[in-house]
Amino acid sequence: MPKSKVYITSVGFTKIDDHWEKSLLDLAVEAARGAMKGTPKVRPQQIFVGNMFSAVGAGQEHLGALLASALGLVGVPALKVESASSSGGSAFNVAYSLVKSGALDSALVVGVEKMRDLETEEVSQAVAMAESAEYTQFVGASFAALNGLLARYYMEQLDVSRDELSSIPVIDHANAVNAEHAQFRRAITPDAVSRSSMVADPLRLFDCAPIGDGAAAVLLVSDRAASGAKKKMAEVLGGRIATNEFSVYQREDMLDFNATREAFKGAMAQAGLSTRRLGFAEVHDAFSVVGALSLEAMGFSKRGRGSKDAKEGKYNMGSEFPINTFGGLKARGNPIGATGVYQIAEAFLQLTGQAGKNQVEDADYGITHNVGGVDTTSVVHVFGRAT
Amino acid sequence: MHLMKSSKPSAILGYGAYIPLYRIPTSEIARIWKGGGSGPNTEKTVASMDEDTVTMAIEAARYAMKMSGTTNLGAVFVGTESKPYAVKPTSTMVAQALGQHYTLAADLEFACKAGTEAIQVIMGLVGSGMIEAGLAIGMDTAQGRPGDDLEYGAASGGAAFVIGRKGKDAIAVIESSTSFVSDTGDFWRRAHEKYPRHLSRFTGEPAYFHHIESSVQTLLGETGHKPSDFTYAVFHQPNPRFPVEVATRLGFTMDQVRTGLLNPMIGNTYAGSSPIGLAAVLDEAKPGDKILLASFGSGAGSDAFCIEVLDGIKKTRGVNPTVKSMIQRGSKIDYSTYSKFRDKLHK
Amino acid sequence: MAIQAWRIKDRYYRLIGSRCQECRTEFFPPVYTCRHCGSEIIKDQEMPKEGKIMTYTRLHEPLPGFEAQAPFYLAVVMLDNGARVLTQVVDSPDESVKTGARVRATVRRAKVDGDSGQIIYGYKFIVIS
Repeated sequence: MPKSKVYITSVGFTKIDDHWEKSLLDLAVEAARGAMKGTPKVRPQQIFVGNMFSAVGAGQEHLGALLASALGLVGVPALKVESASSSGGSAFNVAYSLVKSGALDSALVVGVEKMRDLETEEVSQAVAMAESAEYTQFVGASFAALNGLLARYYMEQLDVSRDELSSIPVIDHANAVNAEHAQFRRAITPDAVSRSSMVADPLRLFDCAPIGDGAAAVLLVSDRAASGAKKKMAEVLGGRIATNEFSVYQREDMLDFNATREAFKGAMAQAGLSTRRLGFAEVHDAFSVVGALSLEAMGFSKRGRGSKDAKEGKYNMGSEFPINTFGGLKARGNPIGATGVYQIAEAFLQLTGQAGKNQVEDADYGITHNVGGVDTTSVVHVFGRAT
Repeated sequence: MHLMKSSKPSAILGYGAYIPLYRIPTSEIARIWKGGGSGPNTEKTVASMDEDTVTMAIEAARYAMKMSGTTNLGAVFVGTESKPYAVKPTSTMVAQALGQHYTLAADLEFACKAGTEAIQVIMGLVGSGMIEAGLAIGMDTAQGRPGDDLEYGAASGGAAFVIGRKGKDAIAVIESSTSFVSDTGDFWRRAHEKYPRHLSRFTGEPAYFHHIESSVQTLLGETGHKPSDFTYAVFHQPNPRFPVEVATRLGFTMDQVRTGLLNPMIGNTYAGSSPIGLAAVLDEAKPGDKILLASFGSGAGSDAFCIEVLDGIKKTRGVNPTVKSMIQRGSKIDYSTYSKFRDKLHK
Repeated sequence: MAIQAWRIKDRYYRLIGSRCQECRTEFFPPVYTCRHCGSEIIKDQEMPKEGKIMTYTRLHEPLPGFEAQAPFYLAVVMLDNGARVLTQVVDSPDESVKTGARVRATVRRAKVDGDSGQIIYGYKFIVIS
């Protein structure tokens, strides 16, 4: 089958919050309908649901068929895609690949996570399933603990200070102030980060993405099925998933996010773009240290300089290359399986000029970067204005 | 004739003690329950919240096996009154941790003398030729009822001994042993109770003194040994005073008792008590020294042993941490931490 | 959980990992495929019980089941054979837990299934003083 161009025609998403009144399905339907309403003439040919732990958080699996029925799309093929916190980006990548290959003319991708029905320590346990049950969970290492180990190693080996590490969370919060769907919309200072309560030394509360509920959805169409104004669409130019050695501490160089590097290189090669053409990046900063190391792996900063460059203003809104334009994981939020789709929806808003007060000017291209584990599964997509 | 001697002599081939890191001063216990003062011992040892008889037995056993270089054990016995499971043997977990499977494994209970009976049983298995070497462990995480006088002493720790045929590397030969038992309920714990109970003053003369004096006098009488033949005398140590008193009555001196008398620093480690005392003596004893070991277990009974140190003891120096070094590396905790560690807080 | 732990009890009690039979690199936890040369010819190998801390953290927000111990230290220990272990560091004064510190393995209660379930024992490390 001939390869097709792929466009995102519309998106839908909920605010990220403690949605006590809304179930997992409530959230998914809300986001899905938002996306589908924006492209009324297209009935998606397949549905992909990105989610990590519905089994634990809601006692529910079989999310694909569950959502298809709820949307009145009985008969439509529907699947859950899971790769820890990169479930959303991964679900999108599968959909993108099928539409690009011509196997599908349209697809609906929904990322959803319901975290707040669990107690905090139960959420911790659920998220910890991204790591080895027998050797990581077994020793009592939470996901935050693994990142804490990494953060200390980063600071000691590459001489990064506590104050520098706080920079990316500060950028996130500044950008979320004007983001209506963001969970936390208050600016913070570097001092507030380094004084927040200790989670996994040296990582503090404000180094870590929050717990929250949310769902985001995007509708993809092929060339053939696309109709209407192209300037209201974003084109998907490339996408790649890469994996790394499963446990971060077993890697030759723990500070080398190789999965992110490979996913980024692969996606950019598909898009046929060089880095300097990019206007913004939605980076998976589940923890401040991960944001920094991801920027380094993608080559935006040199080794050891991710946080330092952020402190110097290199990634602020208004700079040449802003990141996390609606708050990133720390301030927009991180409903685990939904995050990857939120990032993509945000890239869509940027490229179609719908980002409001968070609009990045003159950005023709942008990337999203979504990760499961500690750079264990990395998913990068490249987007551009549709022409 | 009550003396137990095996036709082929058994010897200690390796030994190791384990004393946990934490200590609570008895003055701290008294502060809570009596408003001041202290107990008969200065401090006692406290196992951490992630320790128990299994974990401590594994540590001591590993030290003992390292010293003896034994690869195959025909028996693993753990004597304890603080088994983590009422049903599921401590000894199989120790055996698994040592990589031993073709072994007789069992847990023994006889209050504070369960460790020394393990030694006797292995003497028999070795002496009869049924096995080549076995591991005898006395270990406890003794529980004191909060506020009870016994709480001052109830401590954690013990020691392990690899016992096998007497060969050229043997550390000490176990010449002979006696036991004396009777149905004497001085201290007991019913099946589902958390803490033991005792009859205070009754635990003295009719229990501790009568049984130790009986087993030791029989041992001395039937072997023909005199107290002065021994360089060291190690007795079960429920408090600092009883072992000194029984030693004196039996004709032993403070000089003989001193090295093995650890209760003032570590309290009463129950089934670990006289075994740790023996380990402390072996840390210092010289070839040719004779050691009298007499345990006491409530319920009640006493095992007495005549042990003679051999040349092999010289090669043991520096192999494992000494009992003294384990005692010295203590870290003090307060009563609330102690309660948390020993799971005394009701949730 | 009890059966899952039983299956790998020797890993937990004795740090039995892997040794690649072709390039002789050793690993813990065990591997199916050699991380160094890609060989599938892997045999069990008991790890050395000493090593040094590569990095560490102090965890204040523990996973369920570990609340009583919080805050506690976790470290990546590089054993003397080059294999790396993720483990708790216990019974060590705060100032002794640092990158480069030498540590030794011990066996401790790792997870307990309430008052009536099984106790799972496993490796933890202590700073050698």
